[in-house]
Amino acid sequence: MTTCDTSSGPRPAAGIRGSHSGEFGSDGQAMIDADAEHSTLAGRAGEAFLRYRAGDSAAMGGLVEMLTPILWHTVRAQRLDSASTEDVLQTTWLALVRNADKIADPKSVLQWLLVSARREAWRISRGQSRQTPQELLDLDLISSEESPEALAVRSDSEKLLWSHVAALPDRCRELLRVIAFADRPDYAELARSLSMPIGSIGPTRGRCLAKLRAALATDARWEFR
Amino acid sequence: MNTPNPLGWESLAEQPLDEVDAELMNRIAELYSAVDPVPHDLVERLTFAITLDALNAELAELQQQPLDALASRGVESSEVKTLTFTSDSMTTMVSIVASGPDRLRIDGWAAPGAGVSVELRQMDVTRDVVADDDGRFVFDDVPHGLTRFTIRAADPASHPPVVTPAVEI
Repeated sequence: MTTCDTSSGPRPAAGIRGSHSGEFGSDGQAMIDADAEHSTLAGRAGEAFLRYRAGDSAAMGGLVEMLTPILWHTVRAQRLDSASTEDVLQTTWLALVRNADKIADPKSVLQWLLVSARREAWRISRGQSRQTPQELLDLDLISSEESPEALAVRSDSEKLLWSHVAALPDRCRELLRVIAFADRPDYAELARSLSMPIGSIGPTRGRCLAKLRAALATDARWEFR
Repeated sequence: MNTPNPLGWESLAEQPLDEVDAELMNRIAELYSAVDPVPHDLVERLTFAITLDALNAELAELQQQPLDALASRGVESSEVKTLTFTSDSMTTMVSIVASGPDRLRIDGWAAPGAGVSVELRQMDVTRDVVADDDGRFVFDDVPHGLTRFTIRAADPASHPPVVTPAVEI
């Protein structure tokens, strides 16, 4: 689940099957792929959901597997601990299944899930903010999001990237964290689902990625691969 | 709207996304996957929650065990491990014992369980057996792994299925 497919080239049509949980796939071919819609995460998700609605109940399992990474990071970016994140994701998926026939645009199921998960995360985090500081300290959010231990095992270039990402404004960090798990043609629409202004990213680079690029370009320690 | 920036990110922002951006996004995804990984069994648990909801099933609970029993995950050779699942309408007990290299035998008993069908589900495999008139059932040659049981009444209309939590055996 933590592997990253960096291979380039267009996806085979079989990619529509959608059990590509380990694939982040922002490969350069996506834009010129004749079957572009289906070669993106949002496109594959829409296909799987349509098949589920048409009676293929197994398609839901594929959809959960395909979208759990992006939804996990969507909710974690709201600074929820992992137990609450799991609750949010479960609530979100149950809402999808229970309302499957009422969703107006099934092809946009990823956008629907992103919006729902963020809204639910926001609702839960308001409740959590009433916890005592000690309870908040006990949450594993600190160890995963901010502690040096989690980063200690990473390579120098990863630590460097982390420090530059951490220096971005919160909203930019959230945006990049989430859409990094999708494919380039999806960026603009997913950014909209995250309530980012138009032009935040895609088709142009947008300010968040531009800021990161500029910061890395002026850091002598950074090398693009 | 923003103060002029000596790094020139504003002009960078106007340009189309390129291959360097693609690489950067891949590296961001890798980094977050490593620093804040999705729990390994989350997909399984979410899928289970959806299935349970769809089946309108009765969820059995694993009965509390002594701490030392919980501490040892899996089944060592020559050890017999007994798990009891309870729900409103049914109690299911399974004894797990090693039956060969990396293989287990599961002897189960469901009450009331005459003629119920029992499904054993692991990551990639699903197996079904039918209990005898006393509610006894056997699965042999079972590999280790995260395992869940679903018990269905002989007449499915008479009772919703009972589903156990997944346990590591």
